[in-house]
Amino acid sequence: MNLRTIGCNVSSAAVDLRERLAFDAAKTQRALTELSARFAAEVVVLDTCNRVELYVSRIDTVAPVHSPLMAEFLSELHGLPASEIAPHLYEHADTAAAKHLFRVASGLDSVVLGEAQIAGQVKDAYETAQQAGAAGPLLNALFSAALRVSKRVRSETGIGQGHVSVSSAALDFVRVVFNTFTDKTVLVIGAGKMGRLTLKHLADLHPAAVLVTNRSSEKAATVANDCGGRVVPWEQLDEALVQADIVLSTTGAPEPIVSRRRFDEKVRRGRGGRPLLIFDMAVPRDFDASIHDGEVSVFNVDDLTRVADRSMAERRRHLPAAETIVETEVKKFVADWNRRANGPVIGQLTAEVEKIRDAVLAPLLDKLNGKLTDSEKAYIEGAFRLFQNRLLHGPIAALHEASHEGHGGLREALMKLFGLKG
Amino acid sequence: MTGTLIQGIHHYCIGLSYLCAFLLELARLLWPAKGWRIAGLVFGVAGLFAHTAYLLVNQPPPSAPYGSLLLLAWVLALFYLYGTVHHAKQAWAIFVLPVVIVLVAMSRVLLFATPGQNDFSFARWLAGDRFWGAVHGVLILLASVGVSVGFLASVMYLIQARRLRNKVAPDSVVPMLSLERLETMNRRALNVAFPLLTAGLLVGTLLLKHGYDIDNWLSLKVLSTAGLWLVFLVLLYLRYGVHVPARRLAALSVVAFGLLLVALVASHPFATGGAQ
Repeated sequence: MNLRTIGCNVSSAAVDLRERLAFDAAKTQRALTELSARFAAEVVVLDTCNRVELYVSRIDTVAPVHSPLMAEFLSELHGLPASEIAPHLYEHADTAAAKHLFRVASGLDSVVLGEAQIAGQVKDAYETAQQAGAAGPLLNALFSAALRVSKRVRSETGIGQGHVSVSSAALDFVRVVFNTFTDKTVLVIGAGKMGRLTLKHLADLHPAAVLVTNRSSEKAATVANDCGGRVVPWEQLDEALVQADIVLSTTGAPEPIVSRRRFDEKVRRGRGGRPLLIFDMAVPRDFDASIHDGEVSVFNVDDLTRVADRSMAERRRHLPAAETIVETEVKKFVADWNRRANGPVIGQLTAEVEKIRDAVLAPLLDKLNGKLTDSEKAYIEGAFRLFQNRLLHGPIAALHEASHEGHGGLREALMKLFGLKG
Repeated sequence: MTGTLIQGIHHYCIGLSYLCAFLLELARLLWPAKGWRIAGLVFGVAGLFAHTAYLLVNQPPPSAPYGSLLLLAWVLALFYLYGTVHHAKQAWAIFVLPVVIVLVAMSRVLLFATPGQNDFSFARWLAGDRFWGAVHGVLILLASVGVSVGFLASVMYLIQARRLRNKVAPDSVVPMLSLERLETMNRRALNVAFPLLTAGLLVGTLLLKHGYDIDNWLSLKVLSTAGLWLVFLVLLYLRYGVHVPARRLAALSVVAFGLLLVALVASHPFATGGAQ
């Protein structure tokens, strides 16, 4: 295996450098074409908001591509001095490179541990390379394995479970309460920026109606316009609360706008026991916390943050199991790859020794021609074949063992010793 | 050979298969891996196969306590299998299988406790022997399925509602259906069960009137079934009449299931003869 991963991520390079190293579609195509041609290599470019990485594989008998060379190439491509790029690049070789990709695809190297999006990005990067004809046997096998490992890690551990942001935690609670959303009403109170992402998530559920209310009708109209909602006058807040199934409150009011008494007297009775979810994203809070009971659930920013933090802690608990899967799969991949690479070498080695055997045996049999019976001839030929098999048994067994252990050094040594081409 | 094997199946095989399926499902939740689920399903299917074979070979009477419990357990085992396949991500089996296992175990205990009621045969039933008694038994049994499904939905609802009240992260514990879905399931189960229970009770009342003395009217079975019907009536009134919150309805559904168990376990006046 002659594989290198060269790149930078959030740990090795600041965002301004990563931005300047970002690949658009044209640059990706250029990188794939030029690197393949320049280094006679297989190439995949993985570019996400947190990392820029190049996976480069060459045949075993040539020197690998190292990071200084890649820094020069990136410098040409992005118009940046190589000296500015090089210190921020990391390089992983062979087994370490495979392990790195498996960890990346499984979300173990992500800022948000266990995030699912990265698997899709790895898949896209690989497909782009395939379409450009830049992916060859090793990268085909490597990326297919990485996607499989990612699925395995996700299904066999809890690394991807739970939501780790405030907005997605809110959505989790919505799903605990409701099954269908097309008959639900979302009420947005206020026009604060806090909770915009939550509103976007809620609007994505395609509720029957989104009502927006605010002391300023212009601000309400702006929010309603953004989320496809309908403005409700501020004076009709109680009626809107009776109608709503999910409430998102983000006002900048200095004190609670809905007290327990107001809610009990003007809202609760009219609801007929229907469940209500209130996401109070305002600080100070808009809803009296004591409204929270069996039918009405009130979640403030702290509650949602706590849930998100707990989910992250839970994911971390699954990290050792995920790392074990990656470790096992890397060993398996490397052993499989080496075994695949051993096939032609063993074939050539056997052919080479057979050639030598024939070269020694043919003159001997010529010399003894007429003095040997057919059965004696067959016996001598058999003895030579046995000698050959016993001679090769040790190296071939050692080669298989080395493949199993994950290194290809012995294969290269054998190729050199016997002058094989690989 | 196969026939002998099938005849050799009894409650232990059924109960242990379901128990293994339950333990494997538990393991899947604690240590997520695809293998657990597949192995659990294999045991679940094996249990259901043994259960079905037992019912076909032994034909337990629906009017005998052990028979009605075993038949109810069989329908709930089907419900378990449907849920496990259909709601693969939910902890369905964790709730359904314990009920199935308990019903199978109770059936086993009652099989020996009421030996006189076990000489029922479907052939005799089809020929008209104790026909109305069996119709009554089947109607009550079908209603029992509804009550049991309502019970399971209610238990899940109460746990889910408690988690929501305590603001527990949804994915950090046993995954369950949404409250809305569970409430719908409970409502539908009770809506189906009530007419069946009413019809079953009517048939039972007519049978009692024509073939039994006053002692039968005051038997535990009759009283608990009547109590169950009354609880149902209250449930329907609370739901559709005064719109009581779903949490309270769920709690009452659990009570209804308790009454159902008493009614099923209690000795049946039609099981040992009488009304034809």
